[in-house]
Amino acid sequence: MKKSILPILTYSSIIAVPLFLFIYAISYIFAAAYMYVPIQALLGISLAIFCISNGIELFVYKTGTKNVLRLSRHEVDQTKSTISHLVGSKSTKTITFNVKRFNNKEKQLELHKYKVQVDKFTSVLTALLKVKSHSDSTLSIRCSCNMGICGSCGMEVNGKPVLACETNVLKNVKEGDEIEISPMTGHPMVKDLVTDFDDFFSKHISVAPYLERKNKEEQYNAKEIYNQSNDDISKFLPYSYCIMCGLCLDACPVVNTNPQFAGPQALSQGYRYYADSRDQMGEARLELVNAPEMVWGCEFAGACSDACPKGVDPAGAIQLLKFEVMKNSLVGNAPDNK
Amino acid sequence: METLKYDLIILGSGLAGLSAAIHASTISKGKIKIAIVTKLHAMRSHSVSAEGGLSGVLYGKDNKDSLTLHAYDTIKGSDYLADQDAVEVLVNGAPQEIKFYEHLGVPWNRTEDNKISQRPFGGMTIPRTAFAADKTGFFLMRALYDTVLKSENIDIFHEHYATSLIMDKNRFNGMFTMDIASGEKKLLLGNAGIIATGGAARTYKLTTTAYSSTGDGIALAYRAGLPLKNMEFVQFHPTSLVPTGVLITEAARGEGGYLLNSKGERFMSAYAPSKMELAPRDIISRAIITEIEAGRGLVHEESGMSHVLLDLTHLDHKKISEKLPMIKEICIKTLGLDPDNDPIPVRPAAHFTMGGIHSNINGQVMSGPSGPAMANLWTAGECGCVSVHGANRLGSNSLSQCSVWGRITGIGAATYLMKKDISKYDESFSMKFAQGEEERINGILEFDGKNNPYDIRESMQETMDLNMGVYRDRIGMAKAKKELQVLQEKFKDIYVEDKNDVYNTNLRDVLEIGNLLDLSQVIAEGAIARNESRGSHALRENPKRDDKNWMKHTIAMNINGKIQLSYANVKVTKWQPEERKY
Repeated sequence: MKKSILPILTYSSIIAVPLFLFIYAISYIFAAAYMYVPIQALLGISLAIFCISNGIELFVYKTGTKNVLRLSRHEVDQTKSTISHLVGSKSTKTITFNVKRFNNKEKQLELHKYKVQVDKFTSVLTALLKVKSHSDSTLSIRCSCNMGICGSCGMEVNGKPVLACETNVLKNVKEGDEIEISPMTGHPMVKDLVTDFDDFFSKHISVAPYLERKNKEEQYNAKEIYNQSNDDISKFLPYSYCIMCGLCLDACPVVNTNPQFAGPQALSQGYRYYADSRDQMGEARLELVNAPEMVWGCEFAGACSDACPKGVDPAGAIQLLKFEVMKNSLVGNAPDNK
Repeated sequence: METLKYDLIILGSGLAGLSAAIHASTISKGKIKIAIVTKLHAMRSHSVSAEGGLSGVLYGKDNKDSLTLHAYDTIKGSDYLADQDAVEVLVNGAPQEIKFYEHLGVPWNRTEDNKISQRPFGGMTIPRTAFAADKTGFFLMRALYDTVLKSENIDIFHEHYATSLIMDKNRFNGMFTMDIASGEKKLLLGNAGIIATGGAARTYKLTTTAYSSTGDGIALAYRAGLPLKNMEFVQFHPTSLVPTGVLITEAARGEGGYLLNSKGERFMSAYAPSKMELAPRDIISRAIITEIEAGRGLVHEESGMSHVLLDLTHLDHKKISEKLPMIKEICIKTLGLDPDNDPIPVRPAAHFTMGGIHSNINGQVMSGPSGPAMANLWTAGECGCVSVHGANRLGSNSLSQCSVWGRITGIGAATYLMKKDISKYDESFSMKFAQGEEERINGILEFDGKNNPYDIRESMQETMDLNMGVYRDRIGMAKAKKELQVLQEKFKDIYVEDKNDVYNTNLRDVLEIGNLLDLSQVIAEGAIARNESRGSHALRENPKRDDKNWMKHTIAMNINGKIQLSYANVKVTKWQPEERKY
């Protein structure tokens, strides 16, 4: 395979898209001024400002410390260094789990303490299931695959939203051999560590998260594959790793204050299907997300991308969607894009 | 108790269940009302964990592959226990499924000229496994789930646990379910049903499968008096990560990984010289255990588990990042080991249930050992047994099987439902049944016995690991049978600590453990009876395959709480049994 399809946005596209829009906006201003259309001139100016500010922000974001797509590499090194000092120590250790359980009758979080013996491989999920099997069977946990791909076991460990099955206990213990566990407080809580996903799923549906084709008959009775190159794939692949675990919503400051906001998961999936060259829904996708509680609700805090356990960059996806919406509202859908 | 009425009820939301729903909806043009009942969130079913890929002949002209060759590989892989007509259905249907998923948005890896890439897999003569990195199952699941959302006639019941099928006179009427989130009981009535709940590898302790792979659908069918087929054939995946049991895909060997013993030798040369690391799974699993028993294994320091090594260090690092990124991530996150630099400790672990609910070639559930097939109940995917995998499944044939029979059963059920003269569910009978079932479940919630159900589960899993593993012997199997009986007795006197209605996973676990216990007994019974070695069933006392007496499917039925075994013939069309050498 010649072209890499790694989930990395090329820097050129980060610069090119705003630059293109900026130049377009400038020419727009001149044209509007020449033709004495003040409203459109204003629109052009605001687009230019938008392009500059967001372009800079996005560039800083992509190259700077917030770069989640590089975080996985960063994580690698961190894992290695933390684990290495444990190699060779056969002993197990007793850790105190301070579990904040949601009491569904009192509608409040209650602190329970459990002591669990762990070794250097024990994950938070394994430890909690040990508690359930041997000391307190009333503890409710949602889990399934145990390998970080089903998205069931999102919770907060020491206040950070993570998947319990891929979070090592000893790497996360605090002073006094304690570890703090709580449900994702950014979601409605059901019981103990289990949160409700109904709202989350409706948000996902709101962006039409599926491939639309004009010829539906052929779509369901495929004869030949659609033509798509590795280059085309690389445009949406980074955003297709979403396992719907809900960690990004838990981390998002906007969703936490305004539950109406569709949030990073849904919007990133909106972009995932928009960016797929096989999709034929076109501009209608942009209309779906062109609303205050959709892309324009995003304040670009970037917390979602930091929280994503699968290296999806929802924050980046939303900014790209904003550009597409702006571009579309001015010039229509560029023919080279679809 | 709420009563809900549907045309079609699909139990299970993995690849098979979701494809069945999509095809039933499409073929009926959205006219039939479909319910998908799943104990998880629908997109989280264990199919997401499938890594390596989906087999199907796509470019036969270019790489000299053919449907006949795919069929032959599958039948030889099955150790001649597969029904050959069913295998032909599988290989004929598989290529279309790859294209279908492509049309739903799956990012298959592609070649430079935009074709779909295919990688080598165990027991396959030609590279014919299409893949999306090593997250194939995940991508297929997301595409299917997202597509289901388009259909307004499909209702998804997330986190609803089915406790019983409602059957009268060989007719399916619906099922009794419990909403896990609220504890509410719901009676679902349906004119047709498809069971697609996956496998039961959680009968074992060391397993690559999800916590949720508890064979619920198989156990429900068994308790409803339906026959199970070939349950003694449990596949052990050769390379599960030590010590956690997480799956390390066969694709790691397909992309060129080596298996090494403690002397650093590629020991597969002694067991399958022509295929080496790409021999079928049963052969490699036995080879690994043989190496370990001969003292050429390694011992994992922390857990004390014995293992061998899967070496990827000689591969191009870029290739690992592009084609096996999840393997890399898992090794780093759980062991702090980078497969670029260090070999991975692996050993066989329970992986796939070759057996399942006895069905005919159309996926229709059989009402007895030799039929007749039920008019309104189907089964698809791992929980059904057509059988296409026989005594040993080839890697990447599972995703094809789920997809092909998902489509067949979905279309079959919808076609049946669109007929005018079908018999409807019996509402009053079902209501009566449901009331009894509600009492039973509420009764379990009150259990106040002296045994911890989780201790019973652990004993069961240890018994199965020890005695029903890669190699089996008569003394061990007899011991297992006895031990499982003791555990069944103990299970009658358990306590359920959680009395809460809301999200009571203690109650759900107890119901699952009951299912697992029943199934592990069926596995043991079938294994004890089968006096030969075939595929995944390797009997130490009789290491030869015995085609004269044992080329037949085991059928197990529940007759008044006792397991009754009988046998059914294997369908042979073009391929006569021959010695299985690689």
